[in-house]
Amino acid sequence: MKVTINKQNEKTLVTLEGRVDSTNAEQFQQDIAPLMEGDGSDIDIDCTGMTYTSSQGLRVFLLLQKSVMAHQGTMVMRNMDSRVKEVFDITGFSNIITIL
Amino acid sequence: MKLDLHSEMILEVYRTSLPIYEKLLSIVLERMRQCLNDNHLHIAGLESRIKAEDSLTNKLELKGYKYKTISDITDIVGLRVVTFFSDEVDVISALVEKMFEIDWDNSVDKRKMLEIDRFGYMSLHYICRVPETMYHDPDMPQLNQIRFELQMRSMLQHMWANMYHDMGYKSDVEIPKEYQRNMNRLAGMLELADEQFSRIRKEINNYRRNVQSLVASGDFDDVPLNGDTFRSYLELQPFKRLTEKIAGINQAEIYEDSLDPYYQVLLRMGMRTIGDVERLRKKYTDGAYQLALIQLAGTGLDIVASSVALQNICIVAILKQGFGEGGLIRLFAALYGENDYNIQRAQRLIEQAKKINLV
Repeated sequence: MKVTINKQNEKTLVTLEGRVDSTNAEQFQQDIAPLMEGDGSDIDIDCTGMTYTSSQGLRVFLLLQKSVMAHQGTMVMRNMDSRVKEVFDITGFSNIITIL
Repeated sequence: MKLDLHSEMILEVYRTSLPIYEKLLSIVLERMRQCLNDNHLHIAGLESRIKAEDSLTNKLELKGYKYKTISDITDIVGLRVVTFFSDEVDVISALVEKMFEIDWDNSVDKRKMLEIDRFGYMSLHYICRVPETMYHDPDMPQLNQIRFELQMRSMLQHMWANMYHDMGYKSDVEIPKEYQRNMNRLAGMLELADEQFSRIRKEINNYRRNVQSLVASGDFDDVPLNGDTFRSYLELQPFKRLTEKIAGINQAEIYEDSLDPYYQVLLRMGMRTIGDVERLRKKYTDGAYQLALIQLAGTGLDIVASSVALQNICIVAILKQGFGEGGLIRLFAALYGENDYNIQRAQRLIEQAKKINLV
């Protein structure tokens, strides 16, 4: 899993590549920890290169979403592969996280 | 600006007492915030200030003769509570009376002093002290003797006061006669609006209480579906069992999320009463579970959102009622917005539904 974070004015762009699963979810959480400190900026996650997420990944996305909302920011995930979207759909997470 | 000696002495006491005023203000602010919080009161604003030296100098220049000592000036430390509704001023004042010692001789209810043609400055002004039971510092005993002013007014009263002040008039200075009529019309309108807001809020609260008891009684067919009734219905946790059953597929954790977006969906699906929603729930619960089973079993996904139960009920209802792919696309558009993926979502679901004979 490769995480790239770029700050552009009021927006933070995050690029994800690879799988998020039990082997790297902890590292993934550490990688995005600076985003959870919260400066109220909006987070845009580009999932073009993300191939899979397990429940552990969902939990990290949920944590990030809660943290962003607590700081009055917004979070969107975009360019998600349909197989990854299916994970969000069948767990009901599409109702929680904005996927464009 | 030249003050007389007496006023100069008062000003000097003011300067040396500033740390005490600051301490007093911080204590009063902290207790006010705590009290509002404890009583779940949401207010429009809590303002505070220590009178600036310039302002005190002006006051002394104009009416310094009135004050024997600085303790006769009761508004050096001042706070203002601005409420959303006019009837909340009485709720706040009752709490203030319990918290602080009130100097009743100098407190004024300007709401009762009004001329028939006045609206602005309808605040309630209390002159208070911090009782020793609330705070006492042996090194700063004067703090309990200093009086401060606490004003309470509604947002519309506050708006009026600010506009009036911004036009350069103070409460006790009359506006020119030629403008008085229009100001009076506006005053009447604002007072009426203040009353109406309070009345409407009371009526809505009563309505919500009635709805809650109606929903709790289980006479669902008598309860129209609207935002309030849907919320009351959800308090009964009608989808909890199904959610738990779905979570049981993978021994999953349940994340409680909001079902609010489904209110509009249910309306679009033709639900008119809570009874309609209840029938939908009963009729399609099994199908919703079967759908979850085919989707989740073997995936190892061990977290689900609580909304997955109602989500699946809606999907199954749409398919069973024959609305097919188009119906699902409309459902997803309502939930997630219009996008191309909704077609794929719908087609995938139809394939899954075929396997369990939902279509």
